[in-house]
Amino acid sequence: MLDKLMFYFQYPFVRYALVVGILIAFCSSLLGVTLVLKRFSFIGDGLSHVAFGAMAVATVLNLTSNMLLILPVTVICAVLLLRTGQNTKIKGDAAVAMISVGALALGYLLMNLFSTSANLTGDVCSTLFGSTSILTLSKGEVWLCVAISVLVIAVFLLLYHKIFAVTFDENFAQATGTKANFYNLIIAIVIALVIVLAMNLVGSLLISALVIFPALSSMRIFKSFGSVIICSAIFSVVCAAIGILISILAGTPVGSTIVAIDIGGFIMFWLAGAVMGGIAK
Amino acid sequence: MKTTVCLFFAVCILCCSLCGCGTQSGVSAGGDSSPAASNQNEFSQQTEGSAPASDESDVVDLTVLSSTMVYAEVYNMMFTPEDYIDKTVKMRGQFAVGQYVDENGQLDPEPVYYACVIADATACCQQGLEFVLDGDFTYPDDYPELGSQITVTGVFQTYEDNGYTCCHLVDAKFID
Repeated sequence: MLDKLMFYFQYPFVRYALVVGILIAFCSSLLGVTLVLKRFSFIGDGLSHVAFGAMAVATVLNLTSNMLLILPVTVICAVLLLRTGQNTKIKGDAAVAMISVGALALGYLLMNLFSTSANLTGDVCSTLFGSTSILTLSKGEVWLCVAISVLVIAVFLLLYHKIFAVTFDENFAQATGTKANFYNLIIAIVIALVIVLAMNLVGSLLISALVIFPALSSMRIFKSFGSVIICSAIFSVVCAAIGILISILAGTPVGSTIVAIDIGGFIMFWLAGAVMGGIAK
Repeated sequence: MKTTVCLFFAVCILCCSLCGCGTQSGVSAGGDSSPAASNQNEFSQQTEGSAPASDESDVVDLTVLSSTMVYAEVYNMMFTPEDYIDKTVKMRGQFAVGQYVDENGQLDPEPVYYACVIADATACCQQGLEFVLDGDFTYPDDYPELGSQITVTGVFQTYEDNGYTCCHLVDAKFID
């Protein structure tokens, strides 16, 4: 098996997949803890559907690089979602649901009406479930993923204390002079960047798993913000790497294999937490 | 703050060094889309049940790869065909034919091309590689049943059709 693995690693696209997969898993886990604690888990799901809609438009327009359209559209929607969430007429969860299903439906409609692809079902399936898209990245897309990942990590490290304050007690943070709305906006933009990146790895329907499972698993064992984030990052990276390697060796779908490993990891952490006395509530 | 900045630079360096791995020298014979054929042959010798190793230097043996890898490699063939031209490709998949449809929706019985089709792991995406057999063969007598599993080998070439660059295997033959 090791020989087979070494042989597969001679393919550049396998190395690219592993690098990009690990970076995406790392970035999504960093934000996952904040999102879960702030009850924003579904914003990730909503934005992934927006990204799907944008990808459909990019496909219809025959753009050379889909990222050029998907990235700004998703970021704009993330900002709009946050603002709409503060509007009393349309509550936050309703706004997320509305944009989520709206973008999904319009994206599929556009692809059906205008796509010139001979394999529409394949294109849609690949976008929704990831399929092998992580293994078909061009060098340019890999560098774009690396650049965005570095940006996300830099923002998170530099604003760690502010994100911590806004995550746990937004009102107190605001009362002490922290611009909570501004940092919420930064979080939303960074989430949008991570979602666009993660679409390549697991597809737009499975992105939430990358955000939720590492955070929830770590919370079964660790209790402080810092330790949960570190454990979450390690958990996410290890699961993504194992998932990619298994899918390459066994010929299984990349996205769902990674999520299956995440589920297995969550169960193990839950059991470990229960054994250690911190029975999950 | 110092720790943060150090961590940030460490991550940057790690990312750059990992991406640099993609251009290892001596790995690929044709650009960076596929490993060198010599490595492929070494692996063929090690793989249980795989075809015997070939003496040729430019062989892309897809039969030794997992379905996920085959799909990704065929995708690369379609999008960067220049890296594969004149290489001998061996692949296993479903036999399919391409036929014209007339104005009444009736299929022309004479196929315009023959292909070996592979599916991805989710089985929703399929890609086919056209092949042209070496010699005179008549459809359907000299061809396998539609949808049956075939192993075919041939030389990878491109051609222009209505302004599109298409790929096919020439001098192809079936392998039992």
